[in-house]
Amino acid sequence: MAEKQSTTLENQTAPYLPETLRGLSRFRLFIWRGNPPGFVLELITLLTSLVMFIPILYVMVRGIQGGQEKWLALLDARIPQLLWNTLSLTVVVSISTLLIGVSAAWLVNRSDLPGRKIWEWLLALPLVIPPYVGALSYIIVFGPRGLLQNLLGQTPIDIYSFAGAALVLTLFTYPYVYLITGSALKRFNLHYEEAGRMAGLSYPRIFWKIILPLLRPAMGAGFILVSLYSLADFGLVAMLRYTTFTTAIYYQMGSFDRSSAAILSVVLIFITLIILWFEYRTRRKQRFFQSSGTYRKPSPLPLGRGLVPSLLGIGTVVSLSLVLPLSVLFYWSYIGISRGALDSRFWEYTFQSLLTAGLAALACAILALPLVYLKSRHPAPLSSFYERLAQAGYALPGVIIALGMVFIFNRYIPALYGTAVVLVLAYIIRFLPQAMQAESSSLNQVSPHLDEAGRSLGYPPWQVIGRIILPLIRPGVLAGMALVFVSAVKELPATLLLRPPGMDTLAVRVWIEASEGFYEMAAPASLLIILVSALPLKWLISRF
Amino acid sequence: MNSLKQKKPVPLILLVLIITALAVALNGCSTADTGSGELIVYNARNETFVKPLLDNFEEETGIRVRVLSGREELVNQIAEEKDNVQADIFISNDAGAMEYLRQQNLLAANNTSQLESIDERFRAPDGSWVGLSARTRILIYNKDLISEEEMPQTLQELADPEWEGRFMITRGGNSSMVTHTAALRAVWGDQQTREWLAALNKNAGAITGGHTDIRKAVGSGEHPFGLVNNYYYHLQLEEDRNNNVGAVYPDQGKDEIGAFVNVAGVALINESPNEQNARRFIDWMLEDEQQEEFSYHSRETPLNPEIPTPEGAKEIDRYKPMEINLPDLGPHWPDAKNLIQESGLDLGI
Repeated sequence: MAEKQSTTLENQTAPYLPETLRGLSRFRLFIWRGNPPGFVLELITLLTSLVMFIPILYVMVRGIQGGQEKWLALLDARIPQLLWNTLSLTVVVSISTLLIGVSAAWLVNRSDLPGRKIWEWLLALPLVIPPYVGALSYIIVFGPRGLLQNLLGQTPIDIYSFAGAALVLTLFTYPYVYLITGSALKRFNLHYEEAGRMAGLSYPRIFWKIILPLLRPAMGAGFILVSLYSLADFGLVAMLRYTTFTTAIYYQMGSFDRSSAAILSVVLIFITLIILWFEYRTRRKQRFFQSSGTYRKPSPLPLGRGLVPSLLGIGTVVSLSLVLPLSVLFYWSYIGISRGALDSRFWEYTFQSLLTAGLAALACAILALPLVYLKSRHPAPLSSFYERLAQAGYALPGVIIALGMVFIFNRYIPALYGTAVVLVLAYIIRFLPQAMQAESSSLNQVSPHLDEAGRSLGYPPWQVIGRIILPLIRPGVLAGMALVFVSAVKELPATLLLRPPGMDTLAVRVWIEASEGFYEMAAPASLLIILVSALPLKWLISRF
Repeated sequence: MNSLKQKKPVPLILLVLIITALAVALNGCSTADTGSGELIVYNARNETFVKPLLDNFEEETGIRVRVLSGREELVNQIAEEKDNVQADIFISNDAGAMEYLRQQNLLAANNTSQLESIDERFRAPDGSWVGLSARTRILIYNKDLISEEEMPQTLQELADPEWEGRFMITRGGNSSMVTHTAALRAVWGDQQTREWLAALNKNAGAITGGHTDIRKAVGSGEHPFGLVNNYYYHLQLEEDRNNNVGAVYPDQGKDEIGAFVNVAGVALINESPNEQNARRFIDWMLEDEQQEEFSYHSRETPLNPEIPTPEGAKEIDRYKPMEINLPDLGPHWPDAKNLIQESGLDLGI
């Protein structure tokens, strides 16, 4: 009784006097709202988030040092137009991908669409086509001197425009939404829908009232992923000559104006943080837990008169995002290979791509786990803070991360500067949030009661994660790894700036050859990127 | 209980293993043993033009060449690396960029006697960079649409309303355009150059990202003519079709300013890790054989009049170049972009 009273007293004073170890642990208890994570877990999380945050810090410092005069000049002359260009593209692309992604996911998972196993595959495949390769194929076909111009004497769309950029970007990013909502749909507990049906709701009502709200976390994750992707995309908009913040920053870098670039980056970071905050605010209100124990296959819903439009829609999406670019690339690869494009250098580039991307994927899957676990199981301002910190890297375009890394390694860790370690670290900083999103949307569907059971049986947090959580969220972890691997193989701007001399990757080769107009040299490397990225995708879809 | 305890550190061990593997694998295949037979080349020139030369150098000397190919951003990278220099050699298409680096004290002086084969106008006063091939600003025209006599003979004429909608230029930020602007600025002054650019912006029938679009569009007859570098004309001549094109070297008259000649060349980086090899490389590049090879693939004109010119290309002493020392462009170069922006011509990306 006396002991209990002293605890209460100390609880009140401890936050201000964390002098002793006991005091420290009480302090932690306080800031973690009575639910502190293991110390090692928190330390790892803290270190990870700090490393992820360093480039943003550099850019901030550079931006602020840019000076008032430069800020005002940019705010006056460039930023309004860039804001409009960037935000309109992001909004249009995010909404279009949501529409395409969710409808496609529903059609192949829940309807009686003929051949839906094949469609399910085909719809996911554009994920492995880097948007800049897609842009290249669209330029070859729809460009001012493209295929259509030669055949018909006119093109249906000006590819170097907002519409062109939005169309092509949508076509090559919708699979993010599609895959994530699709995997959530598959793990659905049918009881909710059955309850709806028993309550006499029609299917459209069930869809709006039950399925969509339950899909919200997955849709949100996909939406955020695509928005951030659009904000950070460099290769596609650069090729389609649509000026957004990233291309403006890259351009400022190229013209030796680093402080303007840093200032523009600060604005871009700010926009991204707003999106992340928005997502955090809306998602916090809704949490769902489903037990997957009662899983069983849903019976497909007959499409009836909707069949033909659905098939047409899906067919159009697949043709534009898969058939068209692949045909163009195969044609040019054929020309290139017959001219000897596959020399020993080519295979060297391939090896370098695989090595760097593989290491980044593995590291991301592991590093994301503590972050995601902490956020989900120890919800407190501090864990959210760590998560936000770690996600900040995704906000930055590759150019900025690259310059941040150059600065930091050049000045403080010169021994590693100019090595591929810097490059892999840049990949991790850029793509860790993909692993986090995938892992957390899986983790959010695993009830915390399971870990509590594990903890009550005496498992320390590491064992709870390793023995209980990891097997349950394995699809999410694998999905995350696959996403990171694919993104790293495709990554362009940071690779361009950070690759050590003599260590080009396939993506860099595509960019170099394409920018010189050697399509026959760019095509084989593009196809190989696609092939390499497709391997984990196959595995990914079969495991979902 | 025992078995549970053994499993506990697995994730940590995995983490350590992976980090070790990462460090070993990546260090192993990329870090240089500094001082060994290596040469790090930052290349801002089309790689296909440069690779054969670098392969030859590697073969002849046994020095391993590692290339980093990019564009103007390499200049920025060299500047960022000034306290931890990585590059030995910078190969550039633009005297402006090389001179900028020299003025930032990022290049090392070079007094090798080999430099004398190149006219002083085309190299740095301290020898730190040297031009090898000419990139002359010319007008490419479609012979089906316009005759040589009808063509404008000076660049100033492009500002006349007569030519409205009939020619093509690149975006303002194209590095050839920027350095050309810097040169015009040195000759014409700010006012005239700005007005000229504004008129060009108004008159141009199309503004493209690069010169390849111009040569192809002129070749196919979309527009009668366009402002390009000389070798684009030769490249268009070699096309299977749409190759009925001609070239006008502008401003050749007695009192006129002459055609602007930019150069591609090599620069020696200050405090470079393999300085010996770098100096050896520049000497080697200045040998006649390499000078010829350097221009040949790109169809540029060798700056050394002794060197045979690619078939059909005009020798450097057969036309009148603008009377300007490229190093003198240094002071005009950083502001050229501002001037372009002020004129209303979009820099583009």
